[in-house]
Amino acid sequence: MSRVSEYLRPATLSEALACLDRPGAVVIGGGTKVNAARPAGPVVVVDLQALPTGAVERDGADGLLIGATVTLQRLADDARVPAAIREAARREQPSTLRAMATVGGCVATADPSSELLAALLVHGGTVRLAGRDGEHDRSLAALLADRSPLAGRIITAVAVETGGVTAAARTARTPADRPIVAAVARRRPDGQRRLALTGVAAAPVLVTAERDAAGDLDPPGDFRGSSEYRRAIAAVLTRRVLGEIG
Amino acid sequence: MDVRITVNGRVRELGCEPGDTLLELLRREGFASVRFGSGTGETGAAAVLLDGRLVCADVLLAAQADGHEVTTVESLDAATGELHPIQEAFVEVGALQSGYSAGAMVLAAKALAERDPDPGEAEIRDALSGILDRETGYVKVVEAVRRAAALLRGEKPGPVQPVLVEPLAGRGLAGPGPDAAGDHAAPSALPRVVASPEVTPTAVVGQPERKVDALRLVKGHPAFTDDVRPRGMLYAKVLRSPHAHARIVAIDDAEARALPGVHAVLHHLNTTRVKYASGGQSWPNPYPWDQVSFDDKVRHVGDRVAAVAAETVELAEEACRRIKVTYQVLPAVLDEIEALAPGAPVIHDEPDSVGIHDAARNISSHIEGRTVTDMEAALAGADHVFEQTFHTHQVQHCAIEPHVTIGWLDPDDRLVLRTSTQVPFHIRRMVAPLVGLPVRRIRVIKPRIGGGFGGKQEMLIEDIVGLLVLATRRPVRLELSRDEEFASSRTRHRQTITFRTGVSRDGKLLAQDMKVVANTGAYGVHGFTVQSVTGLRGLSSYNCPAKRYQCDVVYTNRLVAGAMRGYGAPQGVFALESHLDDIARALRIDPVELRRRNWVGLGDSFDIAPRLGERGGVEDVAVQDLPRITSCGTEECAAQALRAIGWHRRGDESFRRPADRPGIRRGIGFALCVMGSGIPFVDMGAAFIKMNDDGSFNLMIGGTDLGTGADTVVAQIAAEVLGVGVDDIIVYAADTDLTPFDVGAYASGTTYITGMAAKQAAEAARARIAQRAARMLSLDESAPIELRDRCAWAADGRSVPLADLALHVLHEQDQEQIMGTASYLARESPSPFAAQVAEVEVDVETGQVTVVKVVTAVDCGVPINPLTASGQVEGGVLMALGYALCEELVLDGEGRPVNGRLGPYWIYRADDAPDTEVFLIQTMEPSGPFGAKAVGEIPTVGVAPAVRNAILDATGVAISTIPFTPERVWRALREEGGPA
Repeated sequence: MSRVSEYLRPATLSEALACLDRPGAVVIGGGTKVNAARPAGPVVVVDLQALPTGAVERDGADGLLIGATVTLQRLADDARVPAAIREAARREQPSTLRAMATVGGCVATADPSSELLAALLVHGGTVRLAGRDGEHDRSLAALLADRSPLAGRIITAVAVETGGVTAAARTARTPADRPIVAAVARRRPDGQRRLALTGVAAAPVLVTAERDAAGDLDPPGDFRGSSEYRRAIAAVLTRRVLGEIG
Repeated sequence: MDVRITVNGRVRELGCEPGDTLLELLRREGFASVRFGSGTGETGAAAVLLDGRLVCADVLLAAQADGHEVTTVESLDAATGELHPIQEAFVEVGALQSGYSAGAMVLAAKALAERDPDPGEAEIRDALSGILDRETGYVKVVEAVRRAAALLRGEKPGPVQPVLVEPLAGRGLAGPGPDAAGDHAAPSALPRVVASPEVTPTAVVGQPERKVDALRLVKGHPAFTDDVRPRGMLYAKVLRSPHAHARIVAIDDAEARALPGVHAVLHHLNTTRVKYASGGQSWPNPYPWDQVSFDDKVRHVGDRVAAVAAETVELAEEACRRIKVTYQVLPAVLDEIEALAPGAPVIHDEPDSVGIHDAARNISSHIEGRTVTDMEAALAGADHVFEQTFHTHQVQHCAIEPHVTIGWLDPDDRLVLRTSTQVPFHIRRMVAPLVGLPVRRIRVIKPRIGGGFGGKQEMLIEDIVGLLVLATRRPVRLELSRDEEFASSRTRHRQTITFRTGVSRDGKLLAQDMKVVANTGAYGVHGFTVQSVTGLRGLSSYNCPAKRYQCDVVYTNRLVAGAMRGYGAPQGVFALESHLDDIARALRIDPVELRRRNWVGLGDSFDIAPRLGERGGVEDVAVQDLPRITSCGTEECAAQALRAIGWHRRGDESFRRPADRPGIRRGIGFALCVMGSGIPFVDMGAAFIKMNDDGSFNLMIGGTDLGTGADTVVAQIAAEVLGVGVDDIIVYAADTDLTPFDVGAYASGTTYITGMAAKQAAEAARARIAQRAARMLSLDESAPIELRDRCAWAADGRSVPLADLALHVLHEQDQEQIMGTASYLARESPSPFAAQVAEVEVDVETGQVTVVKVVTAVDCGVPINPLTASGQVEGGVLMALGYALCEELVLDGEGRPVNGRLGPYWIYRADDAPDTEVFLIQTMEPSGPFGAKAVGEIPTVGVAPAVRNAILDATGVAISTIPFTPERVWRALREEGGPA
C-alpha cells in the first residue's frame, strides 16, 4: 500500500541513469517538493544525494559550475557565488528546507515564482544534463520553456557567469512571502543587460531588456494577482531594476 | 527496508517502509519532540538536525537519512530537571507558549549558535524562518535565541524584567515624549509596564515567573494528545465531500469493508441521526441544532461523508477511496448576500433541524438589539450622517497542532477521549448523545494543547472517534491533515457590515446604526453568539445616545465559520474604527481627538450589552442595571501608543514622502479596542486545591491552557494567596474525571474566571492553614495569621513553616487533609482597553503595504505575569497582521479551497514580522483576581483598522475590504486617481 515502493540511492551517474528506467521512477534532490506532494504512487524514489555533483567549482575565468545537488543553503553561504544568486537562494526556501532543497531540484520543478531561477537566468544559466546519450548543455531559459529534455536525463550542474551589476525588486503580500512578481536585472561587464521576471508565465522567463518587458506578457492570474495586475507590476519592477543597474 | 541512523549520538538500526518519513520513524521510536504540523515542511514543527543542519523531518524520507546523524532536542536532556543553556534562555525570556514547536526552535538556535556564536537579529530571524509559530509573534523567541547565544558564549545576561515606564496621560496626547528614545533601547521582548499607584505590592502576582509547564515543553517531552500510543490502536480517516452541495443518493462500502485491516466504516446508513450544534458552549447550546454526525447531504467541500478505522493510516485512506458514493449534485451558493436572494439554493431543507431562524431564506440566526425605538429620528437629528459598507473575509486559525483525538475504552468499558480541545467539559456533555452513552460513562482528558485560537472550542472530531471506538472496541486515533484543517475545520466569519452614523458638528456621536450580514458557511455553529459579539464590540467603544444592531447570520456552501480569537470583534471593530477615521477626515478633526470626544471611560455604561448576548436580548433595561466600567486605562494607553509610534510625524512631509524612495508613502494609523473578560452569568470555572506533606499544593482546574500561560497565571494567583512560590503549586488541568468543571478557554475568561476560582479555593485552604497554625503556636484559632515565605506568621513574629504544618496535620494530630474548593461565576465582564497603532509604507506604484511597526498599549488591569501577558499581545498582533494583509481562504467557483496550504495561504514568519512593542498599562480592576482583566483576544482586534487607517494617512485612499493585498491597494489607488 505504500506510495513509495522502493528507495534507491545510486552512487554514480551511470547507476542513476539506469534507475531512471524503473517504472514509476521519481528523482529527488532534497525531496522537499516530491515528499511534500505525497505522490499517489507507487513510485520508485531515486535519491541523488550520493552523486558526486555536490560542489561549486570555478568554470573558466568568469564562470562557476554549481553542482546539481548543491543545497540552497550552501549556495547562499558560498562567497564565490554572485550576490544576486546567493540572496535569491536564501529567499527561495525558509531555514528548515534550505539545507535540503537543491539547485537541480529547483531547476527541475520550475516554480513560476522562483527568484532563484530568475537570478540564474540573468547570470546566463546553462543546465548540464546527463543522459544515456552523453552530456548536453541547455540554456536554462530554453529548459524552463520546454522541459521535455529532462525526460530520461539527470541534471548534473548549472553553469553561470559571474561579474556584472545586478538589481532585484519584488512585490509580495509580506516581506518574506513568495513574490507575486519579481524582477532581476544584470548588466554584464560588456554592458549587455539581461532581465528576468517571475510570476508572469508558467516559469520564470528571460525577457529582452531593450523592449518594454511587460508588453508581450500574458501572465496567468491567480488569487494573489490578476493577469492585468501582474503585467502592470512587471512593468514597474522592470523600470526599477533597469534603472538601478544603469 | 533497514536504515542505520545515528540518533542523538547512538547508532540505531531501524526497520521502515521505503515511503516512511523521518518524522514517522522518529515518532514511532519515541522521539515525541518531533511533531506533525503539515506533512509538507511548511510548519517546521518536525524540524531536526541532520548532520548538524536544520531540516524538516516531515518531508525527509527515513531512507534519505540512512547513514546520517540525526539530532533531536531529546539530545539536550542530560539530567532530570535540568535545562541546557538554550532551553534555559527560552524559559527565562518567556518564549514558549504552547511549546508545540519548542524542540524545533531550540534546535534552530543550536544550529545557529554553532554557525555564529554572536548572531544579529536578521540572522536569528532567518534561522527561525522555517518554524511557523502562531502564538508568540516571534518577539520573545528572537530574544531567547539572542540570550541563548550569550549564555553559550559564557556571558551572564541580567534577569528578564519588564521595563518600568512613567505615565504620560494628561501630559498631552500626541507630542513626542521628553525621552522619546529612552525606553526604546530595551529589547522589544521586554514589556513596558506603566504602574498604577492603586495596585498593592504582591510577591508572586505581577512577577515574570517561569511557566509552570516550561520544562516539559522545552525538553520536548511527551505532553500533547498524540504523544501517547495505546496498544492496538487503529487509525481513523474521514471521507470528505468533493462537492459544495449534494445529496448522498447511495453509499456502497462493501469494498472498503472487505479490505483486510479495516475494522469499521461509518456513514449515515449505519449511524444514529442525532441533531446537535458543534460549537463548544454551555448547555443548552445556542440554536440552531443543524448537524448530525453523518448526514445524507453534504453542504461544503470537505464535509463529512464517512469515517474508517483501520490498522494503518494508509489502509484507512485506501478504504476511504474504496467507498462508492453516489451524489446528486445541487446548486451551491458561496456569497452571503447571494444566499439571501430569492431563488438561492436552500442549504438546510431537512425537516429535523432545530431552531433555524428561516431555513427557506438560508437565515441561520437573526439578531437585533437597540437602545432606542426610533433610529431614523435619531439619525435625522444629526448634523452629519455617514454611511459606509465594509467587507471582511474568511481566515483560519492555523494552530500548528492540528485537531487530534485518541479514544479508547478503559477497564470499566468507559469511553476515554484524549483530545486537543479548549472545552473538555463541553465535549463530554455534547459527545454523550451522539455516541449513545450517558455523561458518566465518558472521560475527556485534555493534555497540552498546541494552539487553539477558538478552532478547538468545537466538537469537531470527538464524536467520530467515540463512534469508531465503540464500533471496534479498539483504541482509535484521528488526526487531521493540514489539507483537512483547511477543508473541514473552522474559520472566521465573513461579514458585510454597514454603519450609518449620525454625528454633531463638533464630532459627538448621536446615532450608530450597524447592520451585518454574516456568512456562517454550511452550519450555524457559533453563528449567533459570534455575531452578537460583533454588534456588542461595534457599539460599545463610544458613548452614543442611540444605537441599533441588526444581523442576519446566513448559510452558504462555504467551509463552516466558528469561534476564532476575537469572536466577531475583529470584524465589527474593523468597520467601526475605519468608519471613524473617515468621519474624522470628513469633519477635519484629528482621528484620535474625534475618538476621545466619544470614547467610554470610568463609570460609563455598556448600554447595548444587555440587549445582545448568548441568553437573548433584553429590551427594557433599567439604567442602574447596565454594566459599568470599573477600571479604564484608555487615556494612558493612547498616550503611550502615540508617543511610541511617533504620532507627531503624521504631519511631517519628510516622513510621509521619503526623498530617496519616490514610490513610497508613509503613514500612521490608530485604532481603539474594547473587549470583555468572559461572559457574565454564563461562564463558570472551579478549582480544587490540596496541601501536600512538604507544604506544596496540588491545584486542579478544569480550565484549559492553550499555550496562553493560563496554568501559570492561575498558579501565581494561588501562590500569592498561600504565601508560597509558583514552584510550590502543581497545576493539573484538565480531566473530566479528576478536575472540577470549567467552561473552558474562551471569551478571554480564564485569568478572570478560573483565576478567581483558584483564588477563592486557595483562600479556603489558607483559612484552614491559619487555624491550624494558630493552634500549633498555642494561639486561639481565630488569631490573625499571615502566610508568606512558605511560613505561617503570627502577629507576635513567631512562625511555623508550611512544610512542618503539613506534616503535623497529615500525620501527627487531628489528622486532616487541608484543602479548598471554589467555583466562580462571572457576574461582570470587566473590559480591557487597548490602543493599537501601526506605521506603514505603501508602495504607490505596486500597492504593496509594508508594516514597519505596531505598538499596542493595553490595559488588562494588573497583569498577573507581564511576560505571558505581553506574549499574548505579541502573538495576537502578528495573527492580526495576517488577517489585515495576507491571509484569506480563497475558494474557486465550485467551493474548493484554492490556497488550502500554509505556503500559498501564508501566515507570518519570523523574518516577516515588523517591530512590535507592547505596553501594559496597569489599572486596578476591583472585580478581578488581584486586579486582573483579560488580555488574550484584545490584541487581535485593532490591528487591521490601524493598518487600514495608516494606509489612509499615507495615501488618502480609504479601503473598505480586508485583506489589504497589493492588488487591492493598487486598484484602490487607481480608482482614487493616485495617492493624495
